[in-house]
Amino acid sequence: MERRQNPQQQRNPRRNPPPPSSSSHSSNHRSRYRPPNRAGGDARAHHRGDSYLDSRDAAAGDQPRSVVRPMPLHASEAATRSSIGGHDQDREDERDCRELASVVGTCPHMCPVGEMAQRERLRDLAVFERLHGNPAKTSPKLAVKKFCRTISTKHGQSSDIRPFSVLGSTLDYLMSLMNSAAEPFETVHDFIFDRTRSIRQDLSMQNIVDKRVIHMYEKMVNFHVISHHKLRLRSSGPDSFNISSLHHLNMEQLAKVLTSLYNLYDLNRDHNSVVHKNEPEYRSLYVLLCLNSESLPEGERLSLWFRRVPSPVIKSKEMSFARRILRYFRMGNYSRFFSTIAAEASYLQYCALEPYIDKVRALAVLCINNGGYKLHPYPMAHLSNLLMMEESEVESFCNACGLETSLDEQGNKVLPTKQPAFNHPKAGYGEYGFSGLENICRGREAEENV
Amino acid sequence: MAAYLSMGEAHRRITDYLGRFSDAVSSQDVASLKHILSLSSNSASLLSLADALNLLQDANRLIKQSDRFSQFAEIVAPLFRCIQNYRLGNLVDAYPAYEKAANAFIQEFRNWDSAWALEALYVIAYEIRVLAERADRELSANGKSPEKLKAAGSFLMKVFGVLAGKGPKRVGALYVTCQLFKVYFKLGTVHLCRSVIRSIETARIFDFEEFPQRDKVTYMYYTGRLEVYNENFTAADQKLSYALAHCNPHSEANIRMILKYLIPVKLSIGILPTDWLLEKYNLVEYRNIVQALKRGDLRLLRSALEAHEDRFLRSGVYLVLEKLELQVYQRLLKKIYIIQKQKDPSKAHQMKLEVIIKALRWLGIDMDLDEVECIVAILIHKNLVKGYFAHKSKVVVLSKQDPFPKLMGKPVNA
Repeated sequence: MERRQNPQQQRNPRRNPPPPSSSSHSSNHRSRYRPPNRAGGDARAHHRGDSYLDSRDAAAGDQPRSVVRPMPLHASEAATRSSIGGHDQDREDERDCRELASVVGTCPHMCPVGEMAQRERLRDLAVFERLHGNPAKTSPKLAVKKFCRTISTKHGQSSDIRPFSVLGSTLDYLMSLMNSAAEPFETVHDFIFDRTRSIRQDLSMQNIVDKRVIHMYEKMVNFHVISHHKLRLRSSGPDSFNISSLHHLNMEQLAKVLTSLYNLYDLNRDHNSVVHKNEPEYRSLYVLLCLNSESLPEGERLSLWFRRVPSPVIKSKEMSFARRILRYFRMGNYSRFFSTIAAEASYLQYCALEPYIDKVRALAVLCINNGGYKLHPYPMAHLSNLLMMEESEVESFCNACGLETSLDEQGNKVLPTKQPAFNHPKAGYGEYGFSGLENICRGREAEENV
Repeated sequence: MAAYLSMGEAHRRITDYLGRFSDAVSSQDVASLKHILSLSSNSASLLSLADALNLLQDANRLIKQSDRFSQFAEIVAPLFRCIQNYRLGNLVDAYPAYEKAANAFIQEFRNWDSAWALEALYVIAYEIRVLAERADRELSANGKSPEKLKAAGSFLMKVFGVLAGKGPKRVGALYVTCQLFKVYFKLGTVHLCRSVIRSIETARIFDFEEFPQRDKVTYMYYTGRLEVYNENFTAADQKLSYALAHCNPHSEANIRMILKYLIPVKLSIGILPTDWLLEKYNLVEYRNIVQALKRGDLRLLRSALEAHEDRFLRSGVYLVLEKLELQVYQRLLKKIYIIQKQKDPSKAHQMKLEVIIKALRWLGIDMDLDEVECIVAILIHKNLVKGYFAHKSKVVVLSKQDPFPKLMGKPVNA
């Protein structure tokens, strides 16, 4: 404050008459306050990187925005704040975008002309963007604007930003690539992941948050959820390490897109609080993704999350399904867990909860092994029905759990109980199907969701 | 309120206020200062000041009139703007003005050696939060994105930083922490509580016992609630019990709030409240749940959860209560066991799954053999039942010794 520079003030260090009981004689009462070094992390420093930071603070603060990083809360989060930057960069982008007065984009193509030319020159074209496979040539029908990490909003021109209608058709084009069999799925995923992020960036910069955008975000959620399923299928091959980190990053991004979608639903709710048509299903996905509270370390605990879900959504069929699945999972009721999924899950819901299916199967095998009578080995045929698996797969699953199977007198396969060597199968141990999956997929085609 | 107000009278009121402000600071009269800074008190003097300001429109001139007032210009000028907007019901503009005034205030506060003005700072922290909440309500009502409470959170963190030092001001940090908790809980950004909790609990400058009792109780209440949401029942029990034990015994509303969360925790570790307690603090929504646990009545538990679903979901205890189902199953099986023992003690430890199915049907619940076997397997796994099940004979064989172990104050195994 400028008054401190006032010479009159400086003659008189204390601005108030000392109170009678004052015993403090700190000599640095005029120096700037410095927070003490704290072992567990400085509360202020942590907050600086936080998304809820007042943008004024950041501008006036000591550190340039792009360098600000929150302190990792625990090791797994530190690991995910990899070189890619993840969370914090997105929040800073959002902040940048909000501060820029709403621009209206005018770029008529999926990719701005300047970027197309530059990437042709640098031979920085993704497989899908190459004209006749030529790594140095693309076309307006193929090139899609990349996500730009270090976007400087001051230099962002409206001719580089795509307007809403172009963004819509760009998204539809990207979605059409999802079933492309020409490339391995990781390549498809990577491309769509990046390009849809760029779409969200353009939407943010133009501050488009009305109803029109909801359907676009829903499609992007579809992409991430289906990737959640498809990437998992591929995580037991030679590339499994890379794919599992892709899977993890996908999960992070999925959580973010879902949160944005929920904000859009809230923002666009009519006063008679009618919910959007697809809102119940998309809300239910969060529950199914978080059955196990550790799966999204930064995610809100479900107990807290439910508090803010609108009542019509809670009472919906889709949310009721999700809540029952949650109950069966938490209680360990494997019987109902599988039968309910087979009977009621939509394709998206199935993809969201798929990682838990094998966990529950392992729990079932564990309980049966521990609690089953030694002289009554458990029939594998029955087990396969219970766990919604093919018989051949059940056998290999039990083996993955460290358990042996055998044959009874009639030659039927059985699982002897009270085996001492149970272990939980390692992650990525294999892909086991789900017996009801064809019905679920058929249901999806009928819905014509995407 | 259309009483005629003359310019002269307006002048007088404003000058009067400025005088009171400057006197309060120079004589370190925190009681007066608190009163001056408290907007939500809606005191008559504040409202009359607001009228005067709205009439005069240029209070800055008055502020600059004398050194006595102008030294506080950076606090008072935005404060006046805030009061004007507040009076006109324009909370969205009142909030940033108050924040500006508050910011200038804490710059001064930092320079004051002693902690004489701490209670005034508390008022500011409180007002910041409450004003921001109202401003956000106004924004939402007008279809705009609510953002003031988020800003209030940032500001309160700044205030926390000012108090987190070695001097006597540090005892104020817990109050600000509690205001932050309220902000984060309201915003749903509860994970942000972690950093400030860590500061309070691990920083060497803080000694928890030094903080005022009232703040300790509030702090334990909120951190206890967080433990409930994270399902750390032992920690939740400790914290909420602390809050209960140290809470003002006459403050029934506060006791009720603590019990609302403590009861589900205690139920989860097998401790049931008396009916008297539930009645006294009007927590009758738990009554049927307690009954269901006592009787092993699964239908009653489910219907009680359904009847109060909204309430339990909003407070965030629904998932905790839902999990009590396992304990209800245990009780049901125990009752069947007791009945069997009376009929034929030598065979009591063998329970046909069919009998369990019948008992459940009698309660109006349909369960097939597979599911009953599954439930039994789970109960054994979680040590709620000791024994084994024989798949072929469709029977559960209970251990002859202590087949239904009590929880003994520990939560059911994960």
